[in-house]
Amino acid sequence: MIQSHDPRMNRLGLPDAPAPAVAKEALDQFGTYEVFHQKKEGAPFVYVGPVHAPEADVAFLFAKEQFSRRFACTGLWVVPTAAITLTDYVGDTESAYDTLPLLAKSSAAPAPDSRYTDDTAGEEAAYAAGEEDYDIFHLKKRGKAHQHVGKVRASSPADALQVAKAVFGEQRPVVNVWAARSADILRSDDEDRDIWTTTPEKKYRDAISYKVQDRIEKFKAENQ
Amino acid sequence: MYGSASTHDLPTTAVTGLENEDPILLAEFEARIARGEKIEPGDWMPALYRKQLTRMIEQHAHSEIIGSLPEGTWITRAPGFRRKMAQMAKVQDEVGHAQLLYSAAETLGKTREQMLTDLINGKSKYSNVFNYPTPTWADSNVISWLIDAGAIVNQLANAKGSYGPYCRALDRICAEEAFHLKYGHDAVVHMATGTPIQREMMQAALNRWWPAIMTFFGPSDKMSVHTEILMRWKVKMASNDECRNQFLDMYVPKIWEIGLTLPDANLRKNEETGQWEFTEPDWEDFKRVINGDGPCNAERIAVRRAAEENGAWVRRALLTPKTQYVRPLA
Repeated sequence: MIQSHDPRMNRLGLPDAPAPAVAKEALDQFGTYEVFHQKKEGAPFVYVGPVHAPEADVAFLFAKEQFSRRFACTGLWVVPTAAITLTDYVGDTESAYDTLPLLAKSSAAPAPDSRYTDDTAGEEAAYAAGEEDYDIFHLKKRGKAHQHVGKVRASSPADALQVAKAVFGEQRPVVNVWAARSADILRSDDEDRDIWTTTPEKKYRDAISYKVQDRIEKFKAENQ
Repeated sequence: MYGSASTHDLPTTAVTGLENEDPILLAEFEARIARGEKIEPGDWMPALYRKQLTRMIEQHAHSEIIGSLPEGTWITRAPGFRRKMAQMAKVQDEVGHAQLLYSAAETLGKTREQMLTDLINGKSKYSNVFNYPTPTWADSNVISWLIDAGAIVNQLANAKGSYGPYCRALDRICAEEAFHLKYGHDAVVHMATGTPIQREMMQAALNRWWPAIMTFFGPSDKMSVHTEILMRWKVKMASNDECRNQFLDMYVPKIWEIGLTLPDANLRKNEETGQWEFTEPDWEDFKRVINGDGPCNAERIAVRRAAEENGAWVRRALLTPKTQYVRPLA
């Protein structure tokens, strides 16, 4: 049996002999969800990274632990990686919208399009016809994080990128664009906001609560 | 924060496979890096870049997860409730870092299943210092302070590297390290300025750990293989010797100021060159341990493997039929 300095390890009774090689099964670690957090109320949601999880609720719990444990957070979104449609990446001074296929002028497109105007009747008709909301995220600089810029209504993910181009395409630079169907995003609820007030009590994990210099000075003074 | 940026098994041939790369794409790739832009997962990249980064980020992730074991050893016996809480928070941070890093490595195409398989079968490397035990609370303190300090030197350098997902993960990791460093320093100072027994215990732990600490940044530049191309691609941001020298510069005075000594009679700073001089670490011993023959290699792998195996039924039960794996985006 392996002898450890850790009593918990000794209780496992691990064999000394190396075990035969094993390979993890596919999906042992599940699929992934992409996570966005909000630093303070009113701030845009910003991409923080992926988590592996079997379903959205669990992804939310893991994401909360992973990304709000140490930093101020007032809201969290999780979305399955597969539910995000993205453009190509372009250089730091360009616009990813320029890489989208140019649309042929279609006579079928209603003008003015209710997607860009305040037309309640047109909006209802569009939803009834199967259009849906999409959340749009921009990456402004390579190496930084995608940030939420707003919502569009569209008939497909590809359409959502085209509509986003019309609505947000003036912004520059846009290195990369993500579109996620709003219904695919699991969002923290405003009513549950007290779940975020966990950090202030845990002073023992803040660098500032370790006043080591005082002790060093005292030691030096006593030993000179 | 445990990563030692030097991958422990760099290719032994200088440049491999570049002759098969498309020269135009390669030139664009290099131009992007030269003008300071980051590489993102969707970009074209040379096979060597992908391979080397995968290996480096994966080893870094393994180091975080294995590195949490020697400190985890002392959670239940840390002196006092506050230290137990802090030690637990630190270990949890390290495991969180592993999660961030595995995800960054995944964006390059290797799945987390493959990485964990390589870890639990002893095929992957991790920072060699974690193949040594923490027989006392003071040993755990040495890791918290000085191993984390060494890792910070590396990670601050690597955070300026060229791969976007790795930079994002490191920015987050570095932000959490401020606590680890202060926590570890505080713990060491507490012992070193305490009773004679505490002081003795800390000095003994430091003596045990010093040889391993001196190998933390990897073999000397004069021994290590050609890394010029990895520097140009901003995969490796500082040489092993540069990192080691910076670490010694920052931490040896802090060790000496609390009355501790270091077990190397030749350790001194050459004020003319600005370089530290020291007894060359025993690299043969380093090789022996990293290749499996250290005091804790078997335990580290066995513990990790047991955790994977004991949790497998839970993961199987949670898996839904519609789950499909897609590589994380960024």
